[in-house]
Amino acid sequence: MKHVVYLSRAVRPLTDQDLQHLLDQSRHDNARNGITGVLFYSHGNIAQLFEGEDAIADTLFARIAQDGRHSHVRKLIDKPITTRSFSDWSMAFHPLATEGFEALQGFLLPHHIPPAPSSLPIADALLVELVRLAVFGPDPAQPYQHTLPSAP
Amino acid sequence: MLRQLQAGVATLVGPDLRYGFINEQMRELVGPAEPGQLVNEAPGRLPPVLLEMLPRIHATGTAHTAKACPCGPEHCYDLSVQPYHDEQGRVAGLLLMAVDVREQEQARQRAHELALTTRHLDARLRVLTETAPLMTFTTDAAGQVTYVSPQWYRFTGQPPTADLTAIWPLLVHPDDRLRVLFEAEAARRTGTGWSFEYRLRRYDGVYRWLLSRALPEVHPPDAPVFWHGALTEVHLERELSEARRRGEAELRFLADSIPELVWTASAEGLVEYYNQFTIDYTGLTKEELGPTGWVGLLYQHEQAAAARRWVQSVASGEDFEGEYRLRRHDGVYRWHTIRARQLSDGSGPRWFGTCSDVEEQYRLRQVLQTQYDELSRAHHNLDTFVYAASHDLRQPTNNLRGLFEELRRSVTFADPEQTQMLEMVDTALTELDSTLIDLATTVRTQRQQQEPVEVLDMTLMLEEILLGLRPEIMQRGARIDVQVGEAPGLRYSRANLRSVVHNLVSNSLKFSHPSRPPHIVLRSYLTPEGEPVLEVRDNGLGMHLDDPAHPTFQLFARQHTHVDGTGVGLYLVQRIVSSQGGHLAVTSVIGEGTTFTIHWTTTDSPA
Repeated sequence: MKHVVYLSRAVRPLTDQDLQHLLDQSRHDNARNGITGVLFYSHGNIAQLFEGEDAIADTLFARIAQDGRHSHVRKLIDKPITTRSFSDWSMAFHPLATEGFEALQGFLLPHHIPPAPSSLPIADALLVELVRLAVFGPDPAQPYQHTLPSAP
Repeated sequence: MLRQLQAGVATLVGPDLRYGFINEQMRELVGPAEPGQLVNEAPGRLPPVLLEMLPRIHATGTAHTAKACPCGPEHCYDLSVQPYHDEQGRVAGLLLMAVDVREQEQARQRAHELALTTRHLDARLRVLTETAPLMTFTTDAAGQVTYVSPQWYRFTGQPPTADLTAIWPLLVHPDDRLRVLFEAEAARRTGTGWSFEYRLRRYDGVYRWLLSRALPEVHPPDAPVFWHGALTEVHLERELSEARRRGEAELRFLADSIPELVWTASAEGLVEYYNQFTIDYTGLTKEELGPTGWVGLLYQHEQAAAARRWVQSVASGEDFEGEYRLRRHDGVYRWHTIRARQLSDGSGPRWFGTCSDVEEQYRLRQVLQTQYDELSRAHHNLDTFVYAASHDLRQPTNNLRGLFEELRRSVTFADPEQTQMLEMVDTALTELDSTLIDLATTVRTQRQQQEPVEVLDMTLMLEEILLGLRPEIMQRGARIDVQVGEAPGLRYSRANLRSVVHNLVSNSLKFSHPSRPPHIVLRSYLTPEGEPVLEVRDNGLGMHLDDPAHPTFQLFARQHTHVDGTGVGLYLVQRIVSSQGGHLAVTSVIGEGTTFTIHWTTTDSPA
């Protein structure tokens, strides 16, 4: 098993509808493939941690890297793990209209994201904190509009 | 036969020119004219110019041809008129022939317009290529340079008559020449374009870096015959990027040579670079360390706090600084100061961090701390001992005085010198007692430095203290002025204030000048900085300042040995004032008087 963390930029801002579609589709696919983790989205900035069996995770990342909906994909970590730290796959973002989303399976408001699970090694927990900060800014309760610098 | 002709044919018979024969094609021109009708009555679309000429042609008998004659708005004919003769050789009529040349004419018009457009485009292209700040050129498949724009001549300073193909390679920098010739040749052979940089000699002999880009002109399926391209000067860019590359390489080298852990991180706080020493110290590769791996090297219990601190620094942009134990490749933890600062410039914020080994300093500090603790304990013990000893000694002293009093009462001395000796013994005993009291007070004061601080009314406090000194004041006939109007209140400990003022005033009384009654002024005021000050000024003996033989503020130091005293007073005052963050200043003139200025505090303002 391994886990992968990456940062990227959406090619165009995603609407509530796009996000809901992405959530539905990804949850469905990931549940089938045994992928767990969390995706952060805010104003075009994307960060994701996912974990799964080596081959499946590699295939998934290859597909993500090819996905035309985002660019500047920076893989930050890709390393073996012994146990999963996430029980399922979920997504955190600020919808324009919060109603209706709160009831959705796998949806989180950014300021309701639980702290990194203690089963994550401290270095990986710190990494998750930093990408969350990079996507949502210092106050996750407020929408955070900025542009992630692209990879050097 | 005339009907088969691909041209319009008609005959005009007789001198009055009546239509004779008209074939089908001619109908398009003359319309529904009937044979026998006069041509002037039914001219159809025959051009008026021709109609006017017809009688003249008939009269003179000379043939006439008009090329591309517009007939009506849409048609265009080549018209030819020929007289024909009768048996007698006289002109019998005219034969009119018309060939439709509308399409030829339109084609010719189009060709004309095309030529105009081409000329226009050509002019535009030339203006553009000759005014753009880059040089343009054309070479053929054999490598012959067939065109260069005027900019090239201006840049190289070559005359317009120069043989371009021959001169061009000679102007290229010798170090670049072979490469350029080879690359251009290879591109021509394979029929592709090129893009490379080389140095070209300018008119002033200086070589400048140019970017040469060219593309073949392709007309499939033929192989390209011409290559068109442009030369752009990239000298500054090239030098800048060269300098930057060099600077970066030097910085990397520097960072890798420093025997400290050095790293840089992106704006998001993700480490992107660790120097060689980090790799050596940790025994981990850059990949193993990863963007956040450093935190895993810290001492287990410090990791979470350090991670939180780093996230906070990244969020706020504040400097990161802390002391942490960092694991070496052999598993030994050593203390490090980890520092990181954010650099913000044009290319976005970045973090630069160092971890300095402070293990030695840390150990030294621990040793010093241990020694300090021991010393402070020893000091405390000593204080306790002095206190206990002075306390314990007072009892026997009192006993001694009592016994001595008893002795004096019960024994009669005959010798007057013996009476004097008795007095001396008495004085010595009194002195011993007051020394013991002062010693105990000193120790107690040192312990009471944490006395509660309150706002004191200076008028009341000074009055109270002076009341305590009343016997001495009366005895010496002293005059005391109290001026507290400028700073009537003071935040200070009551006991400390009393000790300080009591000591200074009793000093002033003690060391008064024998020839005049003491005059003491107590003045409480604020310095321009707003700090509260008490001034105690007297007109007494004065004292030596800065005299190593007569120290002023040391324990048991006495300046005037002929006056009673234990030498504890000023030392005590000094200790109290400085322990509360203030300081004591003194000015003195021997024989005139002394002024003590007590700066109570340098931080608190008076209430």
